[in-house]
Amino acid sequence: MIVGILNNMLYKDAIKTATRSLTYGKMRSILTMLGIVIGIASVIILMSIGQSAQDLIIGQVQSIGSNLIIVIPGAPDNGKFSSPASAQGIVITSLQPKDVDALQREPSVDGAASMVSGQAEVVYGNNTKTVSYQGVSANMFSVRNLGVKQGSTLTKGDVESANHVAVVGPDLVKTLFGSILDPINKTIRLKNISFRIIGVLEKGGIGAFGVDQGNIVIIPITVAQKQLLGISYLNTILVQANANYDINFAKSRITFALRQSHGITDPNKDDFNIRTQADVLAILGSITSILTLFLAAIASISLVVGGIGIMNIMLVAVTERTREIGLRKAVGATDNDILQQFLIESVFLTFSGGIIGIAIGAGIVGLAYFVISTFYSSLGWGFAFPLQAVVLGLGVSGLSGIVFGIYPARKAGKKNPIDALRYE
Amino acid sequence: MIEVSDLKKEYTEEETPTRALRGVTFLIEKGEFVSIMGPSGSGKSTLLHILSFLDRPTGGTYKFQGKSIDEMTDKELAQVRNKDMGFVFQSFNLLSRLTVYDNVEIPLLYSDIPPKKRRTLVENAVESVGLKEKLYTEAAKLSGGQKQRVAIARALVTDPNVIFADEPTGNLDSESGLQVMEILEMLNKKGRTVILVTHETQTAEFANRIIKIKDGMVESDKLIAADHIDRRNLK
Repeated sequence: MIVGILNNMLYKDAIKTATRSLTYGKMRSILTMLGIVIGIASVIILMSIGQSAQDLIIGQVQSIGSNLIIVIPGAPDNGKFSSPASAQGIVITSLQPKDVDALQREPSVDGAASMVSGQAEVVYGNNTKTVSYQGVSANMFSVRNLGVKQGSTLTKGDVESANHVAVVGPDLVKTLFGSILDPINKTIRLKNISFRIIGVLEKGGIGAFGVDQGNIVIIPITVAQKQLLGISYLNTILVQANANYDINFAKSRITFALRQSHGITDPNKDDFNIRTQADVLAILGSITSILTLFLAAIASISLVVGGIGIMNIMLVAVTERTREIGLRKAVGATDNDILQQFLIESVFLTFSGGIIGIAIGAGIVGLAYFVISTFYSSLGWGFAFPLQAVVLGLGVSGLSGIVFGIYPARKAGKKNPIDALRYE
Repeated sequence: MIEVSDLKKEYTEEETPTRALRGVTFLIEKGEFVSIMGPSGSGKSTLLHILSFLDRPTGGTYKFQGKSIDEMTDKELAQVRNKDMGFVFQSFNLLSRLTVYDNVEIPLLYSDIPPKKRRTLVENAVESVGLKEKLYTEAAKLSGGQKQRVAIARALVTDPNVIFADEPTGNLDSESGLQVMEILEMLNKKGRTVILVTHETQTAEFANRIIKIKDGMVESDKLIAADHIDRRNLK
């Protein structure tokens, strides 16, 4: 609205005056703009980090495939996010191997794989590392689409005979064997049990379950249950739905099959939890939006503080330049002309702060990316510099110039020319 | 051109009403050079503020170029100030960080004169007060006399019909004051109406008419027919 009625010459004059007052009191300008600079830089950094994290997480979730359905023990949380019962230290034994057999019989299910997991120290010679291990059924590799770059995956025979064999992550190989030694057929020890390495996973990075695939040890589920964990239940069942069926149909069939297997008649008493990729993405979506809102709230606090600084300095400027206001009014400036001039100056101040903030934010994001990609390359952290952050940064800085500049500008516009001219 | 009749102005400060003007009546024709004189507190500055549209009267009528101030909005008053009036102040009121050029250009920023024409107007105005070589000098670096000449250039740049000067020589030495008065006199000879407020008799006598104000009323209103050059020789 205000920009629409701007007198072109006045606009240029105001920019000129603003630049002059900026350069005249350099230190004052820098200190005044600092709040806005920090505010905008934090918006840029937080949005960029948020975007990178979201890209990373979503990429990982998507990498597990849209037909994958995860069954975990515990009552469903009806779409709200909560950590699995196992993560809260509660042992739930409701998932049993017979459930996997029941699911295998479902026509909408291509394959169901069972999994247990734990953490232990792995030893080779003098080298040790604490890692996550997973005990899996042989079809886990096909269900999760996991490949090996060396050797082979676990076979049905390995699982049935409880062979002490393992498939390991590529980063673990480097840690234990260095880059020269061939790991295949070497023997490692996990909880004092020897395992012969038969394969090395193709890819590292953080897997779909938040587990570092680069440092994982995968062993037959039979060995893990009996010799490492001493349990007979399952931690997770992974189901590959048949692509010819709708994923939600498959989900309802799985629910039905598990209720039958568990003898549940009341749907409110389910003791298992089924999640599809879409569910996980929705949960992540709600987490990231809460996070974004939270970050935006923090950033906006610094913007408000910066804005108050701008208002303060503009009020000082209005007082300092009272005679100038009087003169301009005497030679024909209207209240609105004066208001515009001061408003343009405050927007110029915040906008300059915004541009500097964006530049600093971009610099820090770039530096962070450089550090992360150099020292934590396995994380797969990507450089994200969302354009909307720049647009938002510029928009918000300009807007804060208007919001916090309007009061001083109105005050300037309303000054009585006679009093203003007499002001000492 | 300027027609005031029974002009009154009352202020209320801290609940005490002050009557600055108690019914002033006179007529100023186009091309006149009028000095308004009076001791301090006489109401001469209040009168000048009303005549120059910086303030409104509380009683009586004021017509400028046939139009009553009561019929005009604040925006219209600002437009008239910009187009038809020029101002010279005792304390110059230059923006010290700006160059002479930028200072003189200020009234044009609020006019509808196209940007291309503005440069010529500024240069001509500065040349007419003899400061062409100082066009890009910062105002702060000028002497008092030079500053007041820049202020006159600023008052001239929109080619106004009337120039209001409020104690224009008050802050100047006599040599500079004389130069400033000569410029005002020259402008009057070129057809502009000049209205001057002063309490110095010598300055007032550059005019061809002196209106004396006392206690908010016109004490005397006399035409002067004497030769200006002679008076200056007397100085």
